[in-house]
Amino acid sequence: MPEPAGPDLLRLDGVCKSFGKVVVADRLSLTVGAGDLVGIVGPNGAGKSSLFGLIAGDLRPSAGQIVFAGRPVTRLDATARCRMGIGRTFQVPRPFGGMTVLENVLVAVQQGAGLRRRPSYAAAAAVLDRTGLLGDANIPAERLGLLSRKRLEVARALATGPDLLLLDEVAGGLTDPEVAELVTIVRGISAQGVAVVWIEHVLHALTATVHRLLCLAGGTFIGDGAPAEVLALPEVREVFLGTEVTASLHQAGPRLADGQDREDR
Amino acid sequence: MSSLGPDTTAAAGPPSVPPAAAQVRVTRARRSTLAAAAAVVLIVAVLAYLPYLVYSGTTNLLVNFFTLLIMASMWNLLAGYAGLVSVGQQAFVGLGAYGVLLLASHGTSPFLAIPVATAACAVLGLPVWWLVSRLRSGYFAITMWVIASVCELIISQIPSFGGGTGTGLPGLPGNPTLLTADTYWATLACAVLALGVVYLLLRSRIGLVLTAVRDDETGARSVGVRVASTQRLVFLVAAAGCGVAGALYIVSQQFVEPTAAFSVLWSAKMIFITVIGGIGTIEGPIIGTIIYFVLQQTLAQYGTWYFIALGLVAMAIAIWARRGIWGLIADRFGIRLFGVGYWLSPAGPPDRDRGSR
Repeated sequence: MPEPAGPDLLRLDGVCKSFGKVVVADRLSLTVGAGDLVGIVGPNGAGKSSLFGLIAGDLRPSAGQIVFAGRPVTRLDATARCRMGIGRTFQVPRPFGGMTVLENVLVAVQQGAGLRRRPSYAAAAAVLDRTGLLGDANIPAERLGLLSRKRLEVARALATGPDLLLLDEVAGGLTDPEVAELVTIVRGISAQGVAVVWIEHVLHALTATVHRLLCLAGGTFIGDGAPAEVLALPEVREVFLGTEVTASLHQAGPRLADGQDREDR
Repeated sequence: MSSLGPDTTAAAGPPSVPPAAAQVRVTRARRSTLAAAAAVVLIVAVLAYLPYLVYSGTTNLLVNFFTLLIMASMWNLLAGYAGLVSVGQQAFVGLGAYGVLLLASHGTSPFLAIPVATAACAVLGLPVWWLVSRLRSGYFAITMWVIASVCELIISQIPSFGGGTGTGLPGLPGNPTLLTADTYWATLACAVLALGVVYLLLRSRIGLVLTAVRDDETGARSVGVRVASTQRLVFLVAAAGCGVAGALYIVSQQFVEPTAAFSVLWSAKMIFITVIGGIGTIEGPIIGTIIYFVLQQTLAQYGTWYFIALGLVAMAIAIWARRGIWGLIADRFGIRLFGVGYWLSPAGPPDRDRGSR
């Protein structure tokens, strides 16, 4: 396993979360160093987006602790965590449709990064420039195409001035040249020292970009290391060969029984 | 789709080379906004001069108009921006009215009592917010209605307020011409102030926050928006706004009774006006109030049919024009009267791209 690039920025200790019988996080533990560039893969329903919800504060874990920048943030809400430096994108873009692209980014700069007036305008323009959205600045976000919507998700998260950026399938549904553009943007963000955790189904984009790859299945990590090594693991291969349904059933069975046991006691 | 000429090979790339961030600047007002500002000044000047020109019947009608305009603008701020759908705003209408009554019965001039009662409503809004802030959507709406009903019941138990049968407002000037004109000017001033507050609020940093909350609350939280404290601010502003409307109501009626002051019809009117005018815009409640008054003046003589017509209009708008009459106008002509937005130049197109519909 490669050493983290810096001191721990984010640490998850035994984080648990389930929706009814569906376990999305089963004693998850994870550390991300400052400036790290980490990829996460896994089958649908593995708990990838829920993991981001737990880190960003949209979901409350039922057990475990989350530490960011040396401070426990488990009890803080999404607003507070954003202001501390956790930026996130949503798998299904959530633009402020009635606002222009510029206004979308501006509200993130002013609220997330705490800038005002002219400094906030300059910061917003700089973010739009970096994400290739300057030409669309005055267009209402609801009129954007898919690529621009994905870019706006990244731009808005970036505008909050994060130390940790959570990217949730920003390359999904895009053509190869568009994916290449996004990869360039993500590399640029990482090069400036922002730690990036990137969930992606478009594997070639991910493996070409990240230094470290995690595989999440059934709420637990089944692989963690260099991308090529992780993808060569038999457990990971099994998941990606399309046998994940049976595999996760086998895994989930005893765990579910276990969880119910604990509840009964 | 319009053809841009022979150079269609570069369709995959960006339409033009965008300038670097250092070469752009962000501005606020646009041309249609400046024109609107000039129009607003002119309209207010004409309206202020009106008592010298027309009979009291017309000014009395306009007093009702401005009072409803204030209420609708406040409801729009609450529901259209902060996502707080209330059917209990009549609580503050009634409290504003009885606030004026309380002060006037102790010798204060009713006109001076208006701002005091307004401020009192904002203060009373705090404990009410503490009660309802944990509630969402339907629960919030109904609890607000319950609070309004509780206020009505308490007020109707107080003998010095005339109990359930109501009482006249003391301390008004005896000259009817002067009283009509003063009431009109007070109402006009309050309406201009209320709309001014709404406009400045939406133009400030909070406006961007409110619009973001309106469009996507989860998205807003994810970029660091403090949704709850923003909602509290809007709730208190709306409490004061509905309070001033109630204060103007008692002054114009010179009489108040609990069932009328705390009537749920106030909220129904606010909702009707905002929905037909266009929720989530400053212009919507203004257009809505105009439409409401035109309908009232032309159809009121038909009795029950008037209410049926109002209902049909509301249903038609709700089904076919979700963003109201102003939404249709704004989409059609690409205009905005009150510029609260931001504009990046010279990178963007010179104006909103009207062609792509």
